[in-house]
Amino acid sequence: MTRLKQFFVKVLSWFLPDRLCLRLMRRQIEDLRRALEGTLTDRFLEILLGGMCLAFLLLRGFRRNLVGFSGSYLFRTADGTVAAGARFANGRMEVRREEDKGYDVAITFKNPLALRKFLFSRDQDILASILANEVSVDGNLNYIYKFGFMARDLVHRLGVA
Amino acid sequence: MRQVSLKDLALSDQKRSPRVEALREAYFRAAPEICCERPRLVTRYARNKGLFGKPAISVLDKARLYRYVLENRQPVVAHGHGVDRDMKPFPVKVRSLFAGSTTSHFKGVPIFPEFMGLALWPELLNIKERASNPYFLADDDVRVLNEEVFPYWLGDSIIERCRSRMNKDRAGEPVGGRDAPEMVLLEHLVFFLTSKGNCISHTIPDFSKVLRVGLRGIIEEAQQRGRTAQEPEQRDFYAAVAEAMEGIVAFSRNLARETRRLASQASDATEKAELLAMAEVNERVPELPARTFREGLTTVWICWTAIHLENPDVGLSLGRLDQVLYDLYSHDIETGKLTLDQAIDLLCCLWLKIGDHVPTVPATGEQLFGGAGSNQAITVGGVDAEGRDAVNDLTYLMIRATELMMLRDPNLNARYFSAVNPPAYLRRLCDVNLNTGATPALHNDRAVIAALTAKGDTLAQARDYGVIGCVEPGSNGRFYGATASILLNLTSVLELTLYNGEHRHTGRGVLISERTGDAASFTSFDAFKVAFVRQVSWMVDRATALNEALGRTHQKMYPTPILSSLFEGPMDKGKDLIFGGATINSSGASIIGFADVVDSLAAIQKVVFEDKAISLPALLQALDANFVGQDVLLARLRNPEKTPKYGNEQPAADSLARWLAATLDGLFGRKLNYRGGHYRVGYWTMTNHAGFGRLSGATPNGRRDGDNFTSGMTPVSGVTPSLTKALRSVASLPPAFLSNGVAVNLKYTPDNANREKMLDHFVASVEGYFDAALGGLGGMEIQFNVTTHDTFVDAVKNPQKYPELLVRVSGYTAYFKDLNPQMQQEIIGRTEYDLGTGQAVEFSRRG
Repeated sequence: MTRLKQFFVKVLSWFLPDRLCLRLMRRQIEDLRRALEGTLTDRFLEILLGGMCLAFLLLRGFRRNLVGFSGSYLFRTADGTVAAGARFANGRMEVRREEDKGYDVAITFKNPLALRKFLFSRDQDILASILANEVSVDGNLNYIYKFGFMARDLVHRLGVA
Repeated sequence: MRQVSLKDLALSDQKRSPRVEALREAYFRAAPEICCERPRLVTRYARNKGLFGKPAISVLDKARLYRYVLENRQPVVAHGHGVDRDMKPFPVKVRSLFAGSTTSHFKGVPIFPEFMGLALWPELLNIKERASNPYFLADDDVRVLNEEVFPYWLGDSIIERCRSRMNKDRAGEPVGGRDAPEMVLLEHLVFFLTSKGNCISHTIPDFSKVLRVGLRGIIEEAQQRGRTAQEPEQRDFYAAVAEAMEGIVAFSRNLARETRRLASQASDATEKAELLAMAEVNERVPELPARTFREGLTTVWICWTAIHLENPDVGLSLGRLDQVLYDLYSHDIETGKLTLDQAIDLLCCLWLKIGDHVPTVPATGEQLFGGAGSNQAITVGGVDAEGRDAVNDLTYLMIRATELMMLRDPNLNARYFSAVNPPAYLRRLCDVNLNTGATPALHNDRAVIAALTAKGDTLAQARDYGVIGCVEPGSNGRFYGATASILLNLTSVLELTLYNGEHRHTGRGVLISERTGDAASFTSFDAFKVAFVRQVSWMVDRATALNEALGRTHQKMYPTPILSSLFEGPMDKGKDLIFGGATINSSGASIIGFADVVDSLAAIQKVVFEDKAISLPALLQALDANFVGQDVLLARLRNPEKTPKYGNEQPAADSLARWLAATLDGLFGRKLNYRGGHYRVGYWTMTNHAGFGRLSGATPNGRRDGDNFTSGMTPVSGVTPSLTKALRSVASLPPAFLSNGVAVNLKYTPDNANREKMLDHFVASVEGYFDAALGGLGGMEIQFNVTTHDTFVDAVKNPQKYPELLVRVSGYTAYFKDLNPQMQQEIIGRTEYDLGTGQAVEFSRRG
């Protein structure tokens, strides 16, 4: 989405109640629901980050998570391939494809299931996946905790899982 | 006067008063509630004063911060309500005899964002519903933590400051990741843990001085010393002491003011009088010296809440309260100001106050190490600094209060010197263990004092030891031991030896430590031992390096003016505790998996190298297969008649145990810490033996993949049929190698039909274990679970039937229902002895 589009969506969110904003996110919500409750595909991370990006634009309450927050995340698969990067700064979230050398934390995951468990398993916090050796983390764990909250806040607001 | 004047040492006439009964009922009904008061005040102050991102926080910065928090805390005199296990509020209609609380809630969870508080962040939205030990958190407090508190600490928690500092030190190194290898080892969670990311220190403050001179006396001393101090750092320190102590005074005055306000509203004359009396106490202490028992207890309590404001509730301990409060108690009794009933009532109320908070544990922490309280140890009995019998009436009152309350915290530890303390005292301690099923833990003064003097404590200092956290001994109020600095999983080191520097949990082919030889390359057991010692040495180097880095981070970020003010040493040196201000400085390591490693080494020695029944590579194959299809080998490895086991008085195994304890003591003991002290080694495991066990593959002693390791220094369950032999084996280990304390867990079958006879045997078993005639000094510590097997099994199935079932884990006490399933099974599976026969009781579950 271009910056201009993002701007307009954000402006829209100031006038529309969350209920209507959620209707605008129907496709993303459905994708996320499938990714969390049913079929898990390699697109899990893309769906999650994409849904998060859109939710930051459309949901004012969710956007509060961005206030004053800057941080950079790198998601890698077990073979070292960069799956995605996410940068939060100036009240915005940006998803990248290439490695950000200045990341605050890098998360390496064995497979999408491991990542899903890492972020969303009920009654398990983030360390559980590290214990199971399915996910490894390099860098500041507090950024993981923050991301974990935002991910759960997102599904909570979208009424998913 | 006689120190023991009680006619009935059991104090059978003293019961729980209606007030205590009601408070206790509310205590067990209440769920823990996360408290945002401290983190909100700390964060607000740090933001306003620009403390975030500063390269260093001074002791004066910290003191001013705590003064601000203490002055602005809500003064809670009566909570009015708690939250029950269904997360619904319920009224608490009675009021404690002590004003103030650790948090603003009836049973609170204090949050320390400076330490591991942010680990709760992902759980905030559903922490009320988590399966294991849920916490109540109000919706608005979710917002407060998510928006007003946690974001500011992203880069400012101790562990992340340390990581960042270590990473900067390594800048330019050609490594795959950025984190220092020691940090990576820590975060694998299978090699060692360090407590400094989660707390400042396990230690005991000195209450005797504040009781004697009051905080005003400490403030005046600090001001006087500050005027003549030569160094600016010293002047800052003394100014910080005065600031911090003024904060505590203000907090107590605020409580008094609130109490008077409540009194002015009270319509009932008795209630009004009680409140006014309470207000008078808080108006006087802890600012001024305590004159009465109640003022003394209030002094301890108010200072304790302040210490917990500064230091996370992990293992901070209260020490020898029966000694420091005895004069006040006896004076009140002698002058008729106090009755036994009133004294018990006060102690029971204090015990409930001490237990008014639980540590912050994220969900995985609960799964791996859950069920722990704050491990606030109280020590009673033993000898005084001159070696005289120190058991007094107050000792018995504290034992009785513990028996009546049966709480997880405080964790009562009783000292016993067999030639000096009366036999009736030991009998009473054993009697209480039968009545409570789990407390107090017993410590052998002779052995513990020898262990401490071997590390350089003077005899008088050693004789004045108190128990810290689980079981760690340290001279009362002057020993800054950071006793849980390192929790080393010794079985992981054995694994690195067996797999030539690799570990199955982190993956074969990934080099963790150094190559010390392929399994096929060892031609003798001695060669294997050499490789093992190299691996131990490598891991000790890494674990201590990380502990040192964390310690230096504490020095930069977390001076402790409150604890330093209430401690022997810092005032004389003009130096905070974390810079080495205490009279005695050391760091502590505790070893997890000791018995499993001893038995594994004994198995390798006997089965592989002596009997040549199997090659080492073949044994590794069996381990990798988790002994599937290896029934004959497994039976042989588990059979103490064929493979020596520690705990059976078999020289081959017991000599390995001694060698191993000496080796660890030597490797750790040579390390000098950042405060100028040396490392001490202990053997207590809390619940880590279950957590580490879960992450570890099969071991050569016949333990299967994922099974628990053995707790503390206890022999492995199921392989030591004779109680006497088990105790003699453990007692044969020289205390000098065990100076950071040991936990030896025994399970006895209750015999209510022959209670007196059982008590005779119980006492005899302790006397035998503590007996110097064994050729050494006797065993250092012993603790018990005296609950039937069937009760434990039923409590797993029906936890709601056993809300108060207290158990000894490895050091501390816990409620059985709060333990994770693996830990519950560990306790059920422990060797259980019938004291009548002295033999292990077998259940159908074994085999």
